[in-house]
Amino acid sequence: MERKKAIWGFVFTIPAIVFFLIFDFYPVANAFWMSFFKKDLLSLNPPKFIGFKNYTYLFTSEAFWNSVKATAIFTFGTFVPMVLVSLALAALIITRKRFQKFLQMAYYSPAVLSSVVAAMIWLLMFDPRGLANQFLNYFFNTYGVDYHWLSNENMLRLATIIVYFWKYVGYFTVIFISGMASIPRSIHEAAIVDGASGWQDFRHITLPLLKPTTLLVSVMSMIQCLKTFSTQYLFVQGGAPRGPIDVITLNIYNTAIRDHQIGRASAMSVILFFVIMFFTYLQFRVSRSEEVSY
Amino acid sequence: MKKKIISITIDVIIWIFLLGFAAIVLIPLVFMFTASFMPSNEIMKMPYPWIPSEFRWQNYWQAIKGNDGNFLFLRSIWNSFLVASITTIGTVFLCSLTGFGLAKYKFKGRNFVFFMILGTLMIPFEAIMIPLYLIVTGMGMQDTYAGMIIPLLMSPFGVFMMRQYLLTFPDEMLDAARIDGASEFGIYWRIVLPNSVPAIATLSILTFRSQWDNLLWPLLIVQSPEKKTIPLFITIFVTEKYTNEGAMMAAAAIASIPMIILFLTLTKYFLAGSEVFAARKD
Repeated sequence: MERKKAIWGFVFTIPAIVFFLIFDFYPVANAFWMSFFKKDLLSLNPPKFIGFKNYTYLFTSEAFWNSVKATAIFTFGTFVPMVLVSLALAALIITRKRFQKFLQMAYYSPAVLSSVVAAMIWLLMFDPRGLANQFLNYFFNTYGVDYHWLSNENMLRLATIIVYFWKYVGYFTVIFISGMASIPRSIHEAAIVDGASGWQDFRHITLPLLKPTTLLVSVMSMIQCLKTFSTQYLFVQGGAPRGPIDVITLNIYNTAIRDHQIGRASAMSVILFFVIMFFTYLQFRVSRSEEVSY
Repeated sequence: MKKKIISITIDVIIWIFLLGFAAIVLIPLVFMFTASFMPSNEIMKMPYPWIPSEFRWQNYWQAIKGNDGNFLFLRSIWNSFLVASITTIGTVFLCSLTGFGLAKYKFKGRNFVFFMILGTLMIPFEAIMIPLYLIVTGMGMQDTYAGMIIPLLMSPFGVFMMRQYLLTFPDEMLDAARIDGASEFGIYWRIVLPNSVPAIATLSILTFRSQWDNLLWPLLIVQSPEKKTIPLFITIFVTEKYTNEGAMMAAAAIASIPMIILFLTLTKYFLAGSEVFAARKD
């Protein structure tokens, strides 16, 4: 009876095992395998084994290093401010007695839009005659200056960072709020009774106890930024130059689908895989060792 | 007294900062909705007028009708709805079944299966999209709904979440059903599923939203215009008629309204869903 029952547990997991073998483990193995071949997407010739040539090609290719640079700038430019600002917002919201829910909803609302819609709205706002220029002109008290949001290399990078920051800052604020809410009130009360100010309470109570959440959010947002695609893709489709925002996923897509170079695209995928794997591993390690007990 | 004034001042500054930030975050949304009613020259007027001088419903009509008058936008809304719904139903069913198997049965190799599934959490979709594309093409599913749906039918995160939830499911309920002669699948279907609504709702919203938003996978799989989902349609619409900004924003508004309504009615589950890992395939 018990054994018969146990078999059902295995039966229930069979679909999952089959699914993950076909659609996750096999593709990973396949990407590794194909990265050693020269294969054209449309050609009927069998792929030709070329060893590490795809990798050596990439490491000497300017376009690849440009993608690494674009991805690195985007990732660090986005996730660092995002973590800091969402932490600050959460810390302030949680001190409010009213409108907590409203503020959370307002900050969160851009995350509800699809990334394509978000990019489209901002494309219009970054238009030379659009709101972004008007805002900067108002702010710097200038008149009719065009800041070249979509044509200047650095402004274009900043533009994609702003879109992503805007879309996800509320999402991470909500995560921080739930992390802060799980710290028992009694600890804060004890600190206040002992004469701690609001800032001291945050600095010496909230921040240390929040460390697991902070680490989780940092790594999670970082990985998300490494995988960014939609914003950059839509900006390029909308007429922005590709070079400064040619992030690695966009490069993989174009190499495989437009240039038909499956081998090279696979080699890039493998590199992306290892980079993200490394950070995910770090996240698991860190989140396990930093478990806090109250 | 002086201390009180300082604390009130700080309080006011915090309020200004929080509400000001909320206003900045909401500006692009307000821009989208107001611009969707304006003619192009009004959208690009400096300074931006904020209130449409007249409500140009033609923008919406143009977005719906499309530049060629083929109503492909309506078709893409239907496609998005179809693909996201089926993926969600499949994900909820398969992930909860697997989670149930892992949480409530002790079979040989259970831990191995669990860690294998957990291990796939580390595989970024973007790194396997090209081989996945070749596999799906090889199976003859290129340019089909099946090709869009099947590879996304399960998420390791969903399995993980359902397992964690079901670990605390009371064994007495399962045993009572067994004594009543229910089959093991019957227990899952009639006892476990109806009693897991909170976890299922959170997983559903996560999945539906990430599929509604999915650009990359349909972009690889779909070629025929009548199978394109909303993100694909919008991408083309932007390049096709970049000049008519009003219709662009109308299309953006139409694409966003279903999600905004879901968000306003099911806020709780949206906010709960973000506490956990983001779904992998977004």
